Amino acid sequence: MDRRLFWLVPLALLPVPLWLNPYQQYVLNTALVYIPVGIGFNLVVGNLGLLAFSNVAYFGLGAYTSGVLMAQLGMPWWMTIIPAASVGGLAGSIASIPALRGVRLFYLAIMTLAFGELMRWTYIRWEALTGGSMGMAVPTADLLGWPLDSDRRKFYVFLALVVLTLTLTDRLMRSRFGRAFLAIKDNEISAAAMGVATDRYIVLAFAWGGAVVGIGGAMFAISVGHLSPVSFDLTELIRQFAIIMVGGLGSLIGAIIGAAIITVAPQVFISFPGFDELVFGILIVLVILFLPRGLSSLLARVHPAFTDRFYRG
Amino acid sequence: MADGTLLQLRDVTVRFGGLIAVDSVSFNLHAGEICALIGPNGAGKTTLFNSISGNVIADSGSILFRGEEIRHLTPHEISARGARRTFQNGGLFPELTALENILVGLHAQIDSSFLGLLFGGKSVAAELAATQQARELLDLMGIGAMANQKAGALSGGQQRMVEIVRALATNPPLLLLDEPAVGLAPLGRQQLATVIHMLARERGIGILLIEHAIELVMSVADRVIVLNDGRKVADASPEEVRADRTVLEAYLGHA
Repeated sequence: MDRRLFWLVPLALLPVPLWLNPYQQYVLNTALVYIPVGIGFNLVVGNLGLLAFSNVAYFGLGAYTSGVLMAQLGMPWWMTIIPAASVGGLAGSIASIPALRGVRLFYLAIMTLAFGELMRWTYIRWEALTGGSMGMAVPTADLLGWPLDSDRRKFYVFLALVVLTLTLTDRLMRSRFGRAFLAIKDNEISAAAMGVATDRYIVLAFAWGGAVVGIGGAMFAISVGHLSPVSFDLTELIRQFAIIMVGGLGSLIGAIIGAAIITVAPQVFISFPGFDELVFGILIVLVILFLPRGLSSLLARVHPAFTDRFYRG
Repeated sequence: MADGTLLQLRDVTVRFGGLIAVDSVSFNLHAGEICALIGPNGAGKTTLFNSISGNVIADSGSILFRGEEIRHLTPHEISARGARRTFQNGGLFPELTALENILVGLHAQIDSSFLGLLFGGKSVAAELAATQQARELLDLMGIGAMANQKAGALSGGQQRMVEIVRALATNPPLLLLDEPAVGLAPLGRQQLATVIHMLARERGIGILLIEHAIELVMSVADRVIVLNDGRKVADASPEEVRADRTVLEAYLGHA
């Protein structure tokens, strides 16, 4: 099977909005937002193998960068995407510092978790920019002057950004960069003995992961239209962690499946508030028990093209 | 280094707290020479190895590789200069395929850049060329059929072969082998001896070998260095070492 066939998936999605009501369209857009978020998280946790829980920090920083640039400077949304990615990438590089100093496992998890909470505290305190705990309204977005005033229009832009982040990350993972990440996960000392400058690749994985998640943040900002610190709390971290666990650690396709399921599954319990956390919990437990490599491992059994590393040539 | 000296150690000392793990060890290794490092457990063999490969930084002394001081360099810098090692407990990446393991071995040689990969072009071609080269290396060693299997699923002998191919992928002038015969059946050991011999004689690679399998040492080594309590107690041909009383004492105790 040719991997180029994967391009049929976004093509097949093009007419889908015609059959969706506005609410369903919003849910689908949210699923698209969480694909880059899952890709970036999975790169660090699943591929590099480091337990860094600062993903929500990159997500929030990307969202606020985009929202603040629009609200305060009147910048059009499309021009804020690269700044959002840059701020996310920078936050990723900063979050990698403990890892460079040899901090691993639970210690790294706690330190990176603290980084995320520190960012949330910053959103609350820096009221002039963020509106504090009351939050801020995000102006209407546009793409080169074309207003993104409906969820249907946002859908097409989001789809393009998802395809972009997915394609670039896929290329990276199939190169010596991606192999260096995987080698560091498997055996860091041996990776260094093979000429891999391990520190440099740890920073790079965090930075690229942060940048991709930052783009997800910029998408989130205009998808919800209102940013407030509660959107970036520990529940959000659990939701994002559920995406990569349920989808499959270290798998790009897993990030897609995870984002779709974690976004859509709670809709079933929409009339029972608070049930969505329960759904994530149950899903994580079921997947760990029966499919420790996530739902994407089911696809990989069907055909090797669905595994994330498949070398031709 | 006109005389073909590849590696030169002078008074290399490594301390761990109060313990002197390697005590003022000096020796030279020439291109195409096979030198075995033997000694009882705790004699400092692996620590000496680690100080050459950069995994441990020697406290004093000098380590010259092709005339350049490498004592303070990091493992990846030393590896990129052409001194490559294998690991005692197996240094393969179990979750990567055999092919990907070789490709990680080629890492420093692949001419692809981060931005180049994102935006296409030459870097993608460099990756494809490396994949092709890795396949050829596996074929050459007769393990091409295992290319897409995870390294962790290969047999012990196959894993050892992949690890050696991986270390050799960049044509390094120096190879450090840390107990390559562990877990190999007698036939596997013979094949290993043949490979080591071929690498030194036909490709002129200098080989430093830690090995407990004494018959392997005697059959391949040009020279044997014996360590005991961190000190070099003998440095001679296999035949001479076999007859040396101090060596026997090192293995049997100080009595």
